[in-house]
Amino acid sequence: MSHVHALRASAQAFAYPLDIRAISDPAVPIGVPGGTALLGFVDAVMGTSGEPADDARARVVDELDEASLFDAATVYGNFEMMNRVAEATGIPIPKPVIDRERETVEALGLDRFLKMH
Amino acid sequence: MFDFAGSPAPVRSDVVYAYRSVWRHLAGPGPTLTGDQRVGLMQSARDRSSKRLTESWGHSTELGALADTLYHTPKDVDGTMVRAAADVDGDPMTVEVIAVVSILSSIDGTHRGLGIDLEPVPDPRPGVPTEHIAEGLKRRRLHIAAPPGPIPFTLDLLPSEGAAFQSLFGPQYMTGREMALDTFRRDPGLDRAQIEVVSARTSMHNECFY
Repeated sequence: MSHVHALRASAQAFAYPLDIRAISDPAVPIGVPGGTALLGFVDAVMGTSGEPADDARARVVDELDEASLFDAATVYGNFEMMNRVAEATGIPIPKPVIDRERETVEALGLDRFLKMH
Repeated sequence: MFDFAGSPAPVRSDVVYAYRSVWRHLAGPGPTLTGDQRVGLMQSARDRSSKRLTESWGHSTELGALADTLYHTPKDVDGTMVRAAADVDGDPMTVEVIAVVSILSSIDGTHRGLGIDLEPVPDPRPGVPTEHIAEGLKRRRLHIAAPPGPIPFTLDLLPSEGAAFQSLFGPQYMTGREMALDTFRRDPGLDRAQIEVVSARTSMHNECFY
């Protein structure tokens, strides 16, 4: 959720017409340059879309560039680590933060991830 | 080591340096495990055979189950699973397993992202466990003992493992200074918004609220 918050702030700074719902709904145009290709990249590498990962990588290169593909791979790798550390340590999200981000939580259907630790 | 053979994209030297450094760290003795045990854990996590490994060490199968689940299906990890290991084998060893497996998942993740072969696990370095464990930390509301603070500090029960974890943030994501900039942009490469598209989607699939 904190990275959705960061995405909102950055999109605003770059004046991108972000639609945050795209993070959870692939049918929604995200409004970030190359964003749909990046979402497709993550989906393909994680095996959730059925798209061949090589096709998804090629789309990132076509819409952005090779350096962006490398960045996408390392950011993906970084969050494979961060997510594991967060889940395994059980670091809590303070309730005031959840309340403050209620609109995002509801837009993305994040309530279902609020596990009892 | 880490030649990224077959990479479809140019490889940044800071990532190569960071991975070589962390790989060497993982191969050496940790606070509670030997280098041989840590390297064995890396391979067994990949192979989903860690329960047998931790049992062979004389420790719980719960510790191995945590390692395998954390590597393969992190969304299935919860407090019950972590505490089942920590209550038997102790918080320090459990944190060490979490650190080794999470760092491995990161480096393997980058390789999968690029569609290239995983780096073979390193040769273990000799030595006995360092027993370098921070004192006075409690679990508070977490599954394991940790200092207060945000996620970068949650492995600091074991300062060496916390440092290895943190050393990857800059090369793989952004440095602390870069994170302060909503308009950060790698040149060439992704800008901050594009980076957060990848981070948010990855977290969504891992069902990680944080």
